[in-house]
Amino acid sequence: MASEVSEVVRVDGVVKDFRPGFGLRVKRVLHGISFDVKRGEIFGFVGPNGAGKTTTLKILMGLIRASDGRAEILGSDVRETDFRKHVGFLPENPYFYDFLTGREILRFYAKLSGVPAASREARVETLLEWVGLADAADARLRTYSKGMLQRTGIAQALVHDPDVIFLDEPMSGLDPIGRMEIRNLILRLRGEGKTVFMNTHILSDVEMLCDRVAVIVHGRIRYEGRIESLASEDGRMSELVVAGIAPDIAQRVEEEMQGELRGHGERIAIRIREKDVGDALQLVLSSGADVLSVTPERAKLEDIFMTAVEADQRDAAGDGAATETGGEAVR
Amino acid sequence: MIFVRIWTLAQNTVREAIRNRLLYTLLFFAIALIGTGVLVSTLSYVESDRILQDVGLAAIRLMSVGIAIFVGVGLIHGEVERRTIYTILSKPVSRVEFLLGKYIGLVLTTWMMLGVMGVAFACVSLATGAPLDSGHLACFFLIGMELVVMVATATLFSAFTTPMLASLFTVGVYLLGHLSRDLRLLGEQSDAGAIKPVVSFLFEVLPDLESFNVTIAAVHQLPIPTGEVLWATAYGLGYATLLLFLASYLFARRDFR
Repeated sequence: MASEVSEVVRVDGVVKDFRPGFGLRVKRVLHGISFDVKRGEIFGFVGPNGAGKTTTLKILMGLIRASDGRAEILGSDVRETDFRKHVGFLPENPYFYDFLTGREILRFYAKLSGVPAASREARVETLLEWVGLADAADARLRTYSKGMLQRTGIAQALVHDPDVIFLDEPMSGLDPIGRMEIRNLILRLRGEGKTVFMNTHILSDVEMLCDRVAVIVHGRIRYEGRIESLASEDGRMSELVVAGIAPDIAQRVEEEMQGELRGHGERIAIRIREKDVGDALQLVLSSGADVLSVTPERAKLEDIFMTAVEADQRDAAGDGAATETGGEAVR
Repeated sequence: MIFVRIWTLAQNTVREAIRNRLLYTLLFFAIALIGTGVLVSTLSYVESDRILQDVGLAAIRLMSVGIAIFVGVGLIHGEVERRTIYTILSKPVSRVEFLLGKYIGLVLTTWMMLGVMGVAFACVSLATGAPLDSGHLACFFLIGMELVVMVATATLFSAFTTPMLASLFTVGVYLLGHLSRDLRLLGEQSDAGAIKPVVSFLFEVLPDLESFNVTIAAVHQLPIPTGEVLWATAYGLGYATLLLFLASYLFARRDFR
């Protein structure tokens, strides 16, 4: 069975050429990219605007055809359609038939996805509840806000209980609460054993959610690796901001936990290894000081991202320097 | 499952039309045009029934084809432009199924409109005492078959070009389709050697839409042979199938950027 394949997505040497206008000139937007996504992981596909993220996703969704190479989902060529009953897709800024209501559009997608008639209504109601649209289910989509449309998009992507879900910029245009809801939803999907492919340029989302990441710049994969491995190289760092800390406690944090202290007076920032955060908090709080914030540092992916972009710029400039970012795989 | 998906898409296309106020406006104009037949017929002392029905059937034919072209040319383009096609093709729906679903939906929509106009025509005819018989039924049936061909034509052009160009092409096919017999005659009578093969080619390629026009026979209560109706039906279905094959071929190769 196709859904038993361990590599849920496999992209092998995919090239995409476009012909702008009617001329013979060809513009290559994907230069033989390769990567794979394993079962049950959240995979972040990261890149600046115009890097080729959406083109890649459209090839995977069968919306455009690769000029060369091969792309597979659940062991099936993406040009086929039958395997798509195991696939969910949320496009960027999704559009739907706005003459339908929320309930009607989910019924429509459930029918197209082959959800059996016996369980269709129950599934639609469950999804409406799940994404918080039950109260607006009978309103036409033209009256929905952007956040509600995004949630409708999520619901249609999940209406047939797919094994693998593709999300194109899922946080796009959402307010902080909406973003948090989508993040929780993605984590919930992973908890259910689903595979999630997430296209985004928001690095903080990737670091928070993803198990593995690929960085694409100008149609070339510049990095592919696990998120944890990024942090394990140096150990993640966090920053604690505390108020009213006694000098002797501050000194203990500095000496015993190799904390780096910044600032003076009432408010002090302490940069510390993430593994020591618990001990430091205990020490600071027990001394009667206040902890104002704890912020994990997530600069590593940003560093890799910037290195990838710079490598691309060097290549474009023709110095031919090898791309080296210290990750698992750089192409 | 294939038929369920095609039918689901067709139903949705019909629902979109039913909820589109613009189509009701067009329908209102069509019924108003049928009504004007009553006024026009009063201008003549003779054959007022025929004038009434001539005007009515011409209005029905024009408005039906108008609606078919108006909606048909944006049938696929609108889905791509609004990006509604993205989520549909990400489901287990092939492009051919999508195209057929949209096509069948629009044919059903135009037939529904034709049905409403037919009822209006019958009401006006009965109210004025104009005769109604099986010839009128055949006439409406063949207008329906003409719509099968015209919706397929609009779908074909919509599958690969913009609504503006698709409108021009479809209207062009409609006009030439009604002139194709005259074109063939022109070719046969022409002395210029180059014209004959060109005109003959156009006659072979373009739909012979006059096959579906039995208005004169219906209005004048002349017999309409069943064989003629059957032949026109087979011709219409065959021609539409060929157009849909071509549309599917082109649509399957499109990139939705």
